[in-house]
This record gives sequence, C-alpha cells and structure tokens, in this order.
Amino acid sequence: MTPGLPPPELLLVRYGELALKGGNRAVFERALVRNIQHATRDVSPVTIARTTGRITVTPERRALEVARRIQDVFGIKSVSPAWGAPLEPEAIAEVAGAVFDDALADVPPGRIVTARVRTNRAEKRFPMTSTELDRFVAERILPGPERVRVKLKDPELQLEIDVRSERAYVFLKRLPGPGGLPVGTLGRALCLLSGGIDSPVAAWMAMKRGCRVGFVTYHSAPYIGEGSKKKVLDLARALGRYQLRSRLYVVPFTEIQVAIRDSAPESYRTVLYRRMMQRIAARLARVDGYKALVTGECMGQVASQTLENLICIGAATEMHVLRPLIAFDKEETIVIARRIGTFDISNRPDPDCCTVFQPARPMIRGKLAECLAAEDQMDVEGLIDRACAGVETTAID
Amino acid sequence: MLWGSRRAKAPIAPRAPTARRTRPVTTIYLDNAATTPVAPAVRTAMAPFLEAEFGNPSTRYALGVRAAEAIDRARELVARAVGARAREVTFTSGGTEANNLAVLGLARQRGFHRSRRRNQLVIGPTEHPSVRASAFALRDEGFEVREARLLPDGGLDLEAFEELLTEDTVLVAQMLVNNEVGSVYPVSELARIVRRSAPNAALHVDAVQGLGKLELSIEELGADTLAISAHKVHAPKGTGALVTRGKVDLRPLVFGGGQESGRRPGTENVAGIVAFGEAARLADTGREEGVRAMAAARDAFVRGLERVPGARLLIDGSPVVPSICAIALAGAPAEVWLHHLEARGVCASAGSACNAGKKELSPVALALGLTPDEARRVMRFSFAAATTVAEAERAAALLAELATELEAVQS
Repeated sequence: MTPGLPPPELLLVRYGELALKGGNRAVFERALVRNIQHATRDVSPVTIARTTGRITVTPERRALEVARRIQDVFGIKSVSPAWGAPLEPEAIAEVAGAVFDDALADVPPGRIVTARVRTNRAEKRFPMTSTELDRFVAERILPGPERVRVKLKDPELQLEIDVRSERAYVFLKRLPGPGGLPVGTLGRALCLLSGGIDSPVAAWMAMKRGCRVGFVTYHSAPYIGEGSKKKVLDLARALGRYQLRSRLYVVPFTEIQVAIRDSAPESYRTVLYRRMMQRIAARLARVDGYKALVTGECMGQVASQTLENLICIGAATEMHVLRPLIAFDKEETIVIARRIGTFDISNRPDPDCCTVFQPARPMIRGKLAECLAAEDQMDVEGLIDRACAGVETTAID
Repeated sequence: MLWGSRRAKAPIAPRAPTARRTRPVTTIYLDNAATTPVAPAVRTAMAPFLEAEFGNPSTRYALGVRAAEAIDRARELVARAVGARAREVTFTSGGTEANNLAVLGLARQRGFHRSRRRNQLVIGPTEHPSVRASAFALRDEGFEVREARLLPDGGLDLEAFEELLTEDTVLVAQMLVNNEVGSVYPVSELARIVRRSAPNAALHVDAVQGLGKLELSIEELGADTLAISAHKVHAPKGTGALVTRGKVDLRPLVFGGGQESGRRPGTENVAGIVAFGEAARLADTGREEGVRAMAAARDAFVRGLERVPGARLLIDGSPVVPSICAIALAGAPAEVWLHHLEARGVCASAGSACNAGKKELSPVALALGLTPDEARRVMRFSFAAATTVAEAERAAALLAELATELEAVQS
C-alpha cells in the first residue's frame, strides 16, 4: 500500500443467492453475521451491518487480515475491501484515484495495463447515471495510454463504484469466498473423526452445506497413546476456523475392542468396531441434540468399506448418516485436505484405534446376520453405557 | 427454527464418579537418549541470565560484557569436555544445526568447484537425519552421496567403507554413538582410513550421544569437526555446538553480525550457552561415576529381560554405550508396548524420537538384519546417571508382566 492510501473503510461482503428463495433470508443473514463475528474475533473487533443484499463489515484494525478470515466463512461469495466517499462525483473521483494509483504502483513501469471503471448505482437520486459516472471518474483518474488502456471486457483492473443512499464505496478486488451455506443454518451434525485423511474432509463438507459439526473420536489406551488423541484434537481445531465453537467427545474404546476380540470372529473385528462406534455416536448425538452423523466413509476405498460392509455398518443405528465422500477418489479427498489444512496433521504417524487387534485378513463382504450373531455374544448395551460414561469432552474454540 | 434446538439434557449414561485419569505417581524415565531433565545446578547457573543479566554480549557496557564473559566461560567448559580449545567451539541451536553446519559448510567449502573432479560425500550407514538429509540436499549442488554399511553384528564395516573413499571424496560423516541402538563405532580407526584413502576429505563426527558417556577428544578421534548437543546432558533444549580441530574453513549457513566468529551469527542464546557450559562441566567431571551408574542400571535391566519371553538385545557383543539398550520384543508392535508401559509409569521409546515423525521402519534395525516385522517391535530404553538399579529392574519386570498380557495382540 502506498502511503497515500488509508486502510479500507469497510469490507463489502456478498453472499450466494440460493438460500434467499424460501424466505430464509433473515435466518441466513443472522447466521452469517454471527459466523463473521466468530471468524474475525481474534483479529479485530468488527461492526457488522446488514444492508440490502449484502453485509458490510467495519473492522477497527487489520482490515485486510479480517478480509482474509472472512474468505473462509461459508455462505460468502466474495469480499471487497472498500474505501468510502461522500455522494459527490468529485469526491468519489478523488478516492477512486487514490485507490487506482495504489494498485498501479504494483505494476512494473513500462507495462501497459487494461482497466475500466464500473458503477453500480443503488441510489437512483444520484445526479449522474452509472455510465456518466464511469466516464467522469475514468477521465479524471486514468493516466494516458502509455500506461493504461481502457478495456471493457475482462480488464486487469476493474475499479468498481457502489453508489449507496448514504455514501459511495470504491473497490478494486473481489476476493473469493468459499461458497456454500452459513454454518448453523442446517442444524448440527456429529462427525466420527479419526486421525485419517477422510473424516476431516467429510466434516468440512458438512460444514460447507450449513451444518455445525461436533466431533467424536475413539481412544484405546493403552494400546495407542496421547499423541493419537492430540492428533484428532488438532484436526478438530484446524476445522474450527470454518465454523463456530464446537466440541470433541473422546470415547474410551478399549473395553469394546477387547470384547470384540474375545468373542467375535477375527475377520469381523473392523466391521464390528465400526458398528459400535456408530451406535455410540448416535447415542451422544441423541442426547446432545445433533440431528445426523457424518462419516468419511467412501465406497470401496478400504476393505471395511465395501458395499456389503457399509450396509452392515449403516444398519447399526437408525440415525441418518451423511457420507459426503462416498464417491470420492482418494486424490480428490487429498486435494481438499491440503487446501483446508488437515492433510499434514492426518499424515502424522500416530495410529488410530482401528489398528488395535487389526485382523490379518479382514472380512471383505460382511454379512449382517454374522454381525448380529457375534454381537449376541456380547453385552452391547452395557459396553455402550460404560463407554459413554467415560466420555471426555473438550471444547473446540 | 433452523438450527439445533436446545433440548433438555438427558444423562448419556450413569457417569462414573470423577472420571479422572489415573496418573501413576512416580515416573520411571528411561528415554534419556531422547532428552534429559535439566539438572538443578544447570538451572541455577543459567537463572541470572534470564533475569538481571539480560545484556547483549556484543554491547560495550558492563551488563553486556558480563554476558560475553559468561559465554567465554561456557565455551571453555564445553571445549574442555571434548578435549578442544575454547576458540574451536561454535555454539549453535542444537545438534541438528551443528550437523547441518558441518556437512553443508564443509562440503561447500571443499567442493572442487573449478576442477573436473566429482565431489563425493561418504556418510555412515546409520547417520542421524540431520546428517543424512543435509548430505542428500547437497545432491542438488552436484555432490554425489555414498552410504557405508553395517556388519551383521552391528559394527561398522570398515573395509567396505574404505572402498567407497576416493580422491574425490570431500567429506566423510560418521556418527560416534548410534542413537537408536547405542553402538560405539571405531571412529579413530576410520579417521586413519580416511587420511589414507580420501586425502582430500574432512571427517565430521556426530558425537551427540557420546557426550558424558565416552571420554571425548577430537584430537584422538581424528575428526575435523564434532557435533554435540546440550539437552542430552541435562541442559535445556535449544543449544548445541560444533567443535573444530584447529582451524577448519567452513561456509556459514547463517549470515549476520559476525557473532561466533562469523560461523553462526545472531545474538547469542546466553542463558542456554551458560547452561550448556555447566552441563558439559558436570558431564565431563562426573562421567566416570555417571557411567558406572548407567552401566549398573543397564546390566540390571538386561538381567531382568531374561524373564521376558522372546525379548532379545539388538546389539550383543560389539561395543555399546552404557546409556542405551535396544531390544526386540515379541508379539505386539513397539507402539503398543510403549503405551502399556506408559500406563504403568515408564517412559521409553519405540525406535528413536528423531525418527518418530516418520512411518518408515528404522534403517538401523533393517541393517542389523531384522525383518520388517521384527523392526516394528524394537524398543529403546536409555539410562542416565540418576537412573537407579531398582528403576531398571522394575521396568524389566513390567515388560515380563506385559508379555503375557500382550501375547494376544498381533503386530
């Protein structure tokens, strides 16, 4: 930024139009305001206003960093740092000139850039039409053709002017948001989070479509260590920046694994572990008001995820299970995991509890009748009661 | 309402009364090769430099001069512990940086840039990642890297080593003590071989696990540079040193205001360096007594292993330090043994902490002829002077107890 240009006065935040259809607009906007507040709370206090069709965020400081945080808030299409001007053509042109010169300072000397000015006039009492204001401003601020060439279609620099009822705003950039729906507008879901690559991505995708996600993980001390627990906690925290406060339930799982090891056919262990995990998750979800479960299951990715095994696992509970990754290839999942910052955490070597008593030859095509027969040999309800009683809950901020 | 309605909370299940984690009261710490607790005397020595004596050693007033003097004193003490002169000691941020500085700094300095010779590096078979990775990074600068190998008993194959050396070899790096299994390698013999068969090469020795356990003398070892680390000898993490024999030219990795004779510029970590000095003094003067204590603990542990079915020493016969005992266990993978021991208050490690960030198997274990399955069941127990015989016996007894419990667990 050149010394001549003050920090942006506010951030113009645009959101997707999809959810506006069913009269949900107010709910949608309120959720966005709350989520923006949450996403920016450790950067700067902000004042948020809802105006027609958009939200304005006025940060007290670090406006550009606030904009970057807002780029992670689901439901947002784009955000623009903007500079305000009184509703007079001369004043607007002056601010526009400062903004434009600042951007031009980044262009190497001698290179010609393409540019245009584009006005959006919401305030129709303004004395000029949009096209007139475009011309007026362009004539005053654009340097000669040895530096800038006017190009109306796909210019490199597009200086936009938003004429509102109180004030006009000038901006150059539309920083892309993540799209999706505001977290919380679709309710809460509970994600079974392992230390792997898939489940954090599944949680992120549920958030993207408006779910506020809680996390549950399973721990088999002393077969696996504190490092494994920290890994899952770190994953939940990494996902925290896409949503509001949340929590992680850590369920003690050793007793269940020992019971399954001792009374079920070896090859069925993994499927039976997962049936128990899902039952426990469903119990926690019912009690704490989550509407559905989220898993990272993907059809055919590993032995435990054949269609037959997914059916066996899915039949363990009646609660609805969201499987956002069901048709993803591993590479597709990894691309997202890298982007959202969970990949490196998932790649740490700490094992998760599925590796405990791992069968040498896991059942590929499990049969539900076999699962039920094996579980008849166990005190399923008692095991679940005791596991739930030992749950440790950690707040994720 | 669109999102999660608050319901009255029903109890999930009968809560266990105060489901607090049961932490064992006493910890038996047998991972001293990973790091060591700070000795009280070391803490006392460094404390003033975290408080009133905060001066920058490069400044000219008394506060700064006192800090500079404290560094001089520490340099003297560290030098003495490795039989070097004070001016031959360069303080670094730790063993990793010292190894990086030696490998990269020596190779870059000595590479025959203007000749048609190839530039070769030869590294030992079990080098620490900070040596290995530095050497491999030099491939991008046109260096060729060769790796020596172990004998089946865990010793260094000196004949094979010699075959790798040529006139084009600019640097040889060989660790003195293996950090995973404790083997002591014949570095002074190697030094002679290097002088004979690689006359243009410098010899770097990673002695991080040797300080306080072996009588160190850079001169007797015949090394050109020697790396040591403070936190392995009861000082805090964050300080190490590269010691040179005489005047050795090397290219710095960091550039700045000329501190540490320009080899490692940057305002000195005064408190850490003072702590290192005191810790090096204690390691040196207390070495014989410490080694006796470690050996007693290790012997007790090894005796106790007789009652652990399937357990065996990785190195048996060739020389080892008294501080490290690596064993292969039966049944469950090392990770499972580790956490069961942890639950009973014993800290030990599965492989070395330096490799803990990786999923690969230890190359050392594989070089010793272990199958991948056996390599997954290797644990390292490492002792300090403060480790008691009773603690070592207890750890071995717990292993025996766990052997029965973990029999059922597959690897």
